[in-house]
This record gives sequence, structure tokens and C-alpha cells, in this order.
Amino acid sequence: MSSPPDTAARLRRLLAILTWLAQEGEAPIDEVAERFDLTPNALVAELEMAACYGVPPYSPDQLLEILVTDDTVSTRVGTALARPRRLSPREGLALAASARALLAVPGSDEGGALSRALAKLDRALGGPSVEVELDSPALLDVVGDALDRGVRLAVTYYSASTDQTGERTITPRHLFASEGHWYVDAWCEVAGGVRRFRVDRIASASPAGPASPEVLAGALPGPVGVADPGAGPEGAAAVRGAFVPGPDSRRVRIAADPSMGWLLETIPTAARVDTVADRPVWEVFVAGDAWLERLLLRLGPDAEVVEPVEDRALAPEAASRILERYRAATG
Amino acid sequence: MARPDRLERVTDLLLVLLDTGRPLSLREIAERVPGYPDGHDARRQAFERDKRLLRDEGVPVVTSPIDGEEQAGYRVDPDDYYLPDLGLEPDEQAALNLAVAGVHLGEPIGREALSKLGMGGQWPRRGAPLPMVDLPLVDGLPALPVLFDAVRTSAAVTFSYRGEPRSVDVAGIRFRGGHWYAVCWDRDRGEPRTFRVDRIDGLPEVGATGSAQLPEDFDTDEAFAREPWHFGSGDAVEVDVAVDAAEASRVVTALGPDAVVERSDDGAVVVRLVATDVEALVSWVLDLLDHAEVVRPPEVREAVVARLEAFVGGGSAR
Repeated sequence: MSSPPDTAARLRRLLAILTWLAQEGEAPIDEVAERFDLTPNALVAELEMAACYGVPPYSPDQLLEILVTDDTVSTRVGTALARPRRLSPREGLALAASARALLAVPGSDEGGALSRALAKLDRALGGPSVEVELDSPALLDVVGDALDRGVRLAVTYYSASTDQTGERTITPRHLFASEGHWYVDAWCEVAGGVRRFRVDRIASASPAGPASPEVLAGALPGPVGVADPGAGPEGAAAVRGAFVPGPDSRRVRIAADPSMGWLLETIPTAARVDTVADRPVWEVFVAGDAWLERLLLRLGPDAEVVEPVEDRALAPEAASRILERYRAATG
Repeated sequence: MARPDRLERVTDLLLVLLDTGRPLSLREIAERVPGYPDGHDARRQAFERDKRLLRDEGVPVVTSPIDGEEQAGYRVDPDDYYLPDLGLEPDEQAALNLAVAGVHLGEPIGREALSKLGMGGQWPRRGAPLPMVDLPLVDGLPALPVLFDAVRTSAAVTFSYRGEPRSVDVAGIRFRGGHWYAVCWDRDRGEPRTFRVDRIDGLPEVGATGSAQLPEDFDTDEAFAREPWHFGSGDAVEVDVAVDAAEASRVVTALGPDAVVERSDDGAVVVRLVATDVEALVSWVLDLLDHAEVVRPPEVREAVVARLEAFVGGGSAR
């Protein structure tokens, strides 16, 4: 029809500006424009037009009282449509969950402002109903501290994808939580590049001197090279954009009972590619034998590696290896 | 203005609907809001589009029957539209904004929520960046906001969980280990039950406000099964698992230090778990490959061995 397609977006923005401005009273045009991502001219044009909106009898709650001067805009509390609005369930959930998630980060609310804000929010939304828990690995503080102070760490790290424990010296660059677990992207001196580590797989960590300024200044690449997909490609996918398979990863096709679909769907790289004998076939990227062994053991003996055929031996071999441990103990 | 701006018409419509104490017919609305076409059909069509826009933006436009030839009337109850002022101090507003900026939900819905509360737009950056937290909220979780709302309105809920119908009262929503859970009172079973929200089939059906009947002494913390092996309905079994140094730090992080009953000098630990779903526990132990071993009781040990022998017996090919 004749109206521009972005009326909804304009209404949303107008209400956002009004509600914010009512609390401020008056604000410089440049500041408001920057805040709401408009040019000063566009802001003035939009607000001057809105100042004419209203319906008879034009009492304060039927009129958008907006005053535009040469360099400021103002409105007042009580003007129509400038009061805070109820949140949809999704919005209420989003806000409460965000606040709870940040509260779960150690040291995030030292002044207590977030807890107070959340208490007020809970009251308005009708009581607390969301809780967010994040892992708190023993060495999270040590890693966070090294990040803050620009210090290298000598760590003992267990890589789940290769099933190897090794010593490395790393410089933490970026700390984040994804899927409930903590990860650190760090310059790894062994690998000569930035690698992603799961903090709860760091068995020990001790300061190893100041980090090199070059390493600290180096750009963090987009998706980090996934040296250890067992550490969590989920994190890479969720926080940094698309998952990029590492250079050594291979594609493996697995036929599994449809009832195991939920397990495969939790793997970000998994895709249903085929159906063989009424069973769905999934393709996953695998960077280490140990990771594939874990997956196959969890899928159960009925799941079958379609290709590569060499990988068919992995699950029975892993099962035999574990069985040896049980037999050694009893025998 | 040659052509009335649609934003003006929609804004005026919202003002009129909020101001009226009784439902207004479309004819009455058109008398008050400038900009609607004269023709009956064109006017109806334009109004329906505006009404849909407002509803899509979350405005609770209520349609109710009225006397007269038009039969349907419209209004917005200010109590359903406006929120009582939260009274947030500047530092509390800044903290909420930081939370929304630091927590990735998969879409900018937290920012839209802030806009409605008068905290819209971009906030100036200050201070050191906090760690980022990534929280799945939207993708594949249509049931989550529905359950959240059911808690707030104390409404009974029914849904299908992995193909089985469930009738529950939701006590709380919790995020742990990368997943959202609904902690519930299961009406049919007369017991607390926890459900993984991403495994609920489709959208839950929500009953009337106040229809939930949670037992008075319902303890959400206690009801929240801590680990996957608590989700079954079998008898509780105490299980000791020995874990090598390689996986010890991860396991202790996941279970908490209280689970450790033995610690060796080389870093290995023995952890004690209480399982109601032995199948889930076996799957968890196998995920640790040969870094873990069920020490006791014998029947759980045998369950692990039986599962492993099934792999070795015929190989993985069928």
C-alpha cells in the first residue's frame, strides 16, 4: 500500500526515544542522535513531526509533548506514550536471564547494582523464576587474573579430542562462557597461534612472566583455529560466528537410529545427509579419534560408521581398551 | 501534508485506544483518528493492518463484542500496556545495560526490553570489558518463554515430552551445563520432575492464570535434579567412580568438590554420585573413555561392562 514499510520500526524507535527522554528531561540533540543511531537532522525531523501527533482533546496524555530547540530536545514525564511499558514474556525472560547470567560470572557485581536492579525487575515481573548457573572451574580466577594483568601461564592441559595431556605456555586473550562452560582463547607458544582452551580442562596453571607486547597487541582472529574441537566448537560457533573445521579434521558419516537424533543435533557441525535402510545418516567433522570414540560409545552399538571404513574399528577398540581396565581391576 | 504519515495514524490510534474506557467501534475510531480512508472496505483494511502492526509490536489490542451494527469494539487497557515504574537508579540501569551487552542471546531482544523501560539506544562504553557469556535463548526453544510466563502467572501447563503427554505445574526455569530446564510438579505422577526444555515437543499449552497447584512445601532447589542421571524414575543408587588425573579437574568442576570422596597424589579422584537413571550414568562414564571406572556397586559396574561387550562382540557393523 502507500505507507512506507518501516512504520513498525519507526514507531518502536519513537517510543524508545520518548521513554528514555522522559527520564532525562532534556538532552543534547547530538547525544540523542548518536544514542539512537540517527543523524541529528533525521532526529529533529522525526521528533518535530511527532510533536504534532495527538488526538482531541489534546490533554497531556493525548499529546506527544516534545520540545525541540536549536541544540536540545526535551519532553516530560507524563507525556503520552513516554511511560515504561510491560515486557512480553520473551523480553522479560531475556532481561532476567541476561542479568542472572552476568551475576553468575565471578566478580561481575562488586557494587551490588545488578543484584538490586534484578530484585526490582523480579518484583515487577512477578517473582524470580529464572536461575542461570555457569561452571566455576577452580582455575577460572587464575586465568582471569592473568588476562587482566597481561601475564603468561604455564598450564597442564588435557585435550579431549586427542586424549593427550601436555604442558604448554599460553597468554590468555579472551575469556568467555558458552553452553555453560568457560573457554579461554590464548596465544599458545607450542602451536605458535591462538588456540581455544576449555578452562575446566586446565589441570594446573602458574604465572610464567609477563606476556610479550606483540602477543597482547596481536589481533584475535575471527573464528579461532580449532586445535581442540573437543574443547568446544559450540563455543566457537556461538560466540564468534560460524564454526570453521580445523585443517586436520575429516568428515565421518554415521548411520544411527532416529531416536539418537537429539544427541547428534547437539553437535554444531552435524548434518543429516542421507537415509540408508530407513536409518538417517549424519555427517560430522572429526578432529581427533578420541572425540569420535566418545560419540560412538554414547550412540550405542547399533550406530554404524558408514565411511570412512577405517573408523569402523574405533568403537570396538575403545570398548576393548576400557574393558581391559575393568578386567585388570577384578582379575 | 499531502498524504498523512502512517506513523502518525498508528500513533494516534494507540493514543485513542489507550484513552478509551470502553471498546470503540471502527466508526468511532475513524472519527477520532485522522487519516483513515472513507470507503467502508478500504477503512476496514487499513485499520486491520494498523491493528496487526500494533499487536506485532506487543501492544495488547483487545477485541470485544459491543452493541450496534459493527458488533466488534477495540481498546487497550493501560494496565496491560504500561508497567509500574521500576524506580531503577542510574547505577542499576547501567548494570542492566552491561548485562544485556555482555550476554549473547542470539537476537537483540534484551535491547528491545531495555527500550521499553526507558533505557534504549547505545550506551557509552566505559570500564574494562567483562567476559562474554553466551546463552541460548531463542534458537529451537519456542517453549521457553511460554514456560517462563506460566511460572509468573501460576498457570498449569501440559506438553508432550519425547512423545509422552505431561501435565505439570512449573516452579522455575533453570540454566545449567548448557541447557535450559523446567523444574516442575508432575500432576499425573504426584512427584517433582525436571524436563529439558529443548526436548519438549512443540509449544506447551498454558492453563488459566492461577490454575497451578504447586505443593506448599515444594522446594525448587531440591527438586532440580542436578545431573542427567537424576532424571530417571528408578531407585536411587549410590555409585563411586574413579577418575584419572587427566579428566579429574573437569569432573570436579561439573560435580562440585563435595562429590570427591578420595584424592590421590597424582591428581586422580574418586567421586560419589547418586543415580536414578543408570543408563544415563553409564553414558556419562563412557564419555570419559578409559579415564574413568565405576568402582561400586557391582551391578552398575556390570552394566558398564555389558554395554562395552556389546561393542566388542559384533563390532560396530550390523
